[in-house]
Amino acid sequence: MSTPFVGHHGAVHDAGEVTEPRPGRPIGNLLPPIARSGWDAGMRDMMPLAIPIAIWGLVTGVAMVNTGIGVWAALLITATVFAGAAQLATVPLIVAGTPLVIVWVTAALVNLRFVIFSAASRRTFIALPLRQRLVASYLNGDIGFALFTQRYGTAEQRGTPEQYGYFFATATVNWASWQISSVAGILLGGLAPTEWGLDIAASLAIIAVLVPMAARAPAITGVVVAAAVSVATNRWPMRSGLVVAVLAGVVVAISAEHLAARRTT
Amino acid sequence: MNAPVDWTTIILAVAGLTAVTVLSRASFLLLPPSVELPSSVERALRYAPACALAAIVAPNILVENGRLDIAIDNYEMWAVIAGTAVFLRWRNMLTMMTVGVAVFTALRLMG
Repeated sequence: MSTPFVGHHGAVHDAGEVTEPRPGRPIGNLLPPIARSGWDAGMRDMMPLAIPIAIWGLVTGVAMVNTGIGVWAALLITATVFAGAAQLATVPLIVAGTPLVIVWVTAALVNLRFVIFSAASRRTFIALPLRQRLVASYLNGDIGFALFTQRYGTAEQRGTPEQYGYFFATATVNWASWQISSVAGILLGGLAPTEWGLDIAASLAIIAVLVPMAARAPAITGVVVAAAVSVATNRWPMRSGLVVAVLAGVVVAISAEHLAARRTT
Repeated sequence: MNAPVDWTTIILAVAGLTAVTVLSRASFLLLPPSVELPSSVERALRYAPACALAAIVAPNILVENGRLDIAIDNYEMWAVIAGTAVFLRWRNMLTMMTVGVAVFTALRLMG
């Protein structure tokens, strides 16, 4: 039997060899052609990260249900929204009765990093049909993007079956690990009494995402300003201060960056 | 603790949040190839998520009944400071959670 996959070496770019569909894949035309070599490499790179992802999912599940939103609503959010930081940021707002526009804008602000990912992933996915582009985008989270960039960031040719294999392997591990652990966290969190203080898990989980993003001085400055403005504007109607706080933080961070650049040159 | 949220609100909120996930992740895959991301905009976009998370988390910890609360009996604040210190040192989320919740519980039982 001839192999439907591209070998580990050589003919990776020979599209003719890989368009022969593997039985059962692509599922309902939602996925582009996938090469086995890329899939295996993606699995190998992503599997060790399944545990940290699961811890993060577990914490997010516990934290969401501790806001008082309820187990069923938390399960619905996990199954559909699929963006941990945005979930942690917005679920307490929903519970507090914040206007939905503010809830959505907050999620969009937290998700702005994905806009950068999508710009960087464009060459890889742009040739695919719309449906496949949407599926791939939906699955393009932080860790998978980082691994993909590390491996193929300098590749001449983008959008090869080998690359799709790698991408969907990391995405599959990420999705499964995240969903299973989130559900476990929601069910466990629903059992724990509130006086255990598990709701601080949400604040801690957000800080764990925030710290790696704020590695350099301009970002740290922006973060401090955003935090201070947010506290100061806390009583503004409809939490409108949130958006002002983010804008203030971004402006200060960019100014700090300009200042630092001027000083060093 | 909180009044339960009605299902209409939850479903509307979730539909919007799901759309935000899809649109933000797909954004540049839906635009024509001629549209490029200017580097100044990219820089702003890079800072916004961290600022948004800080803007969310700070009042959670530091505001009590609409007022700034950095008093010594703000157990949540001390727990978060301890957890953050642990995370900065060891970059381990599980250790951070354990220490944070342990500090909170210890202060609550002593106080």
